[in-house]
Amino acid sequence: MDSFFYLVMFAGAVAGASTGLMGVYIIGMRLPFIGICISHSAMAGTIYSILLGVNPVWGPVFFSAACSMSLGAVRSGGRSRLDANVALAILFNLMLGLTFLGIGLMRGSRSEVLGLLWGSLLFVDRSSVVIITVFGLVFAAFALLFNKELKSLMFSRTIASATGVHESFVYCLFLGLCGVILAVNLPLVGGLLIFSLITCPAAAAYQICTGHRSVVIAATFFGMASAVIGFLVSYYLDLPTGACIVIVSAVIFAVSALYRTFRGKRD
Amino acid sequence: MTAASLSLCDVEVRWSGRAILAVEEMQIRRGEFVGVIGTNGAGKTTLLKVCCGLIRPNRGTARLNGHDLAELSAWRRADLRRHVGYIPQSAEYNAELPFTLREVVAMGRTSVKGLLGRLSKDDYEMVDNWIEKLGLSQRRTQTFRSLSGGEQQKALIARAMAQEAEILVLDEPCSNLDFNWKHQITEIIEQLHRQTKVTVVMVSHETSQLPPGCGRVILLHEGEILADGDIAQVLDSEVLERAYHCRIEMLKIAGRRYTVSKNPA
Repeated sequence: MDSFFYLVMFAGAVAGASTGLMGVYIIGMRLPFIGICISHSAMAGTIYSILLGVNPVWGPVFFSAACSMSLGAVRSGGRSRLDANVALAILFNLMLGLTFLGIGLMRGSRSEVLGLLWGSLLFVDRSSVVIITVFGLVFAAFALLFNKELKSLMFSRTIASATGVHESFVYCLFLGLCGVILAVNLPLVGGLLIFSLITCPAAAAYQICTGHRSVVIAATFFGMASAVIGFLVSYYLDLPTGACIVIVSAVIFAVSALYRTFRGKRD
Repeated sequence: MTAASLSLCDVEVRWSGRAILAVEEMQIRRGEFVGVIGTNGAGKTTLLKVCCGLIRPNRGTARLNGHDLAELSAWRRADLRRHVGYIPQSAEYNAELPFTLREVVAMGRTSVKGLLGRLSKDDYEMVDNWIEKLGLSQRRTQTFRSLSGGEQQKALIARAMAQEAEILVLDEPCSNLDFNWKHQITEIIEQLHRQTKVTVVMVSHETSQLPPGCGRVILLHEGEILADGDIAQVLDSEVLERAYHCRIEMLKIAGRRYTVSKNPA
């Protein structure tokens, strides 16, 4: 195997680990749709960056962070009857509309934009690996520092808020970081693939683990394993990389669900 | 006179143009045990959420330990709520996550330690202590989702106590429990109130769940306080009939008051 492919595998492993870790909190807060919503906002950001002729790194980061943080305005337990998942669906529609409007306004080749749907792991370079690694580490540090607050939020935002946890602050920070991380991973992993890397590893970990720490470790590992095994399968069988990673992550979830079923759901 | 823990003054909460809570004056003093009863949709949960600052009223003032909640920044409001233990209805928490019982009880220390503060050995000692006091030591490493409904309620009470709550706000803590668990949970709450002097505000649908130690009952009807007084005054068939619009007979057994509804008036 060429040394370049080790770089690709490393990039995939980092992207899988960071999205797997992020998935623990996204699934725990019952917001699985956030991945697909934010990845579309990042796509819209990329398109408008190209249209406006600005650096295509900052457009998706700005769009994703703004999109995810606007969710923070939807409070649970208050007088607003808007569920966070309904707000996500509305934001998703808006971002989809903006994306197609941008595509319609574009002149020339649209392959770069369409590539964002599937990602292009094989076109990774060192600088993008550094960026996703740094942001992955930033998220890991955030998860460690705000571990007790995040756990309280996952259990119940209403109880957290009523009992004096700085719930809005941590929630907005979390959503903002999610937006940034999804945006920096998008060119590599793609909007559709990132959704499966957020949901499947975390959902698999929730099936078989007891205690938050073991969920975090298992989800991070499953995310990493999905990306690496998926890449190896695609390399040796000459199959599409993104599709292989999605299928591996789904298989990991299926095996975990079966394991829990046969174990008799004992906790 | 003991200072008021919670007070509402001329509070109105409107939803879709309709007043769902309208309270002219209500004060809950430190150390009181107050039961809140009323028909479905009477505004009981809204009242609790206004008291905790989870809902901002359209009009009027809600004070927690003397501070007007509307005047405080979100940050200061959160700081002030550090000593409010809140136990909502089960729909408001995610019982399906694989948190262990110990992790759930330790969440009570989150606001006490503040942002970036880590739980120390002393914190975990306090957590284990409350787990033991509530008779859950055997379940310590089990997941919260594997506990029975009654054990989950005990765990949430332990969490509130580990938080060193000065005010315990409970929203129907006995709903969905069998009669034995209902009795156990209300006994525990009464015992904690007696031992720690914690202020208790407890919403209940069943009058029998208000233990003898409950010194005051507030009866809500269509968002307004219909009666506010000691348990004998409010849990009276004539008073309750005005709210529930049916004939009611009160039975007093072992210090608790049971309501038997008869044919509509």
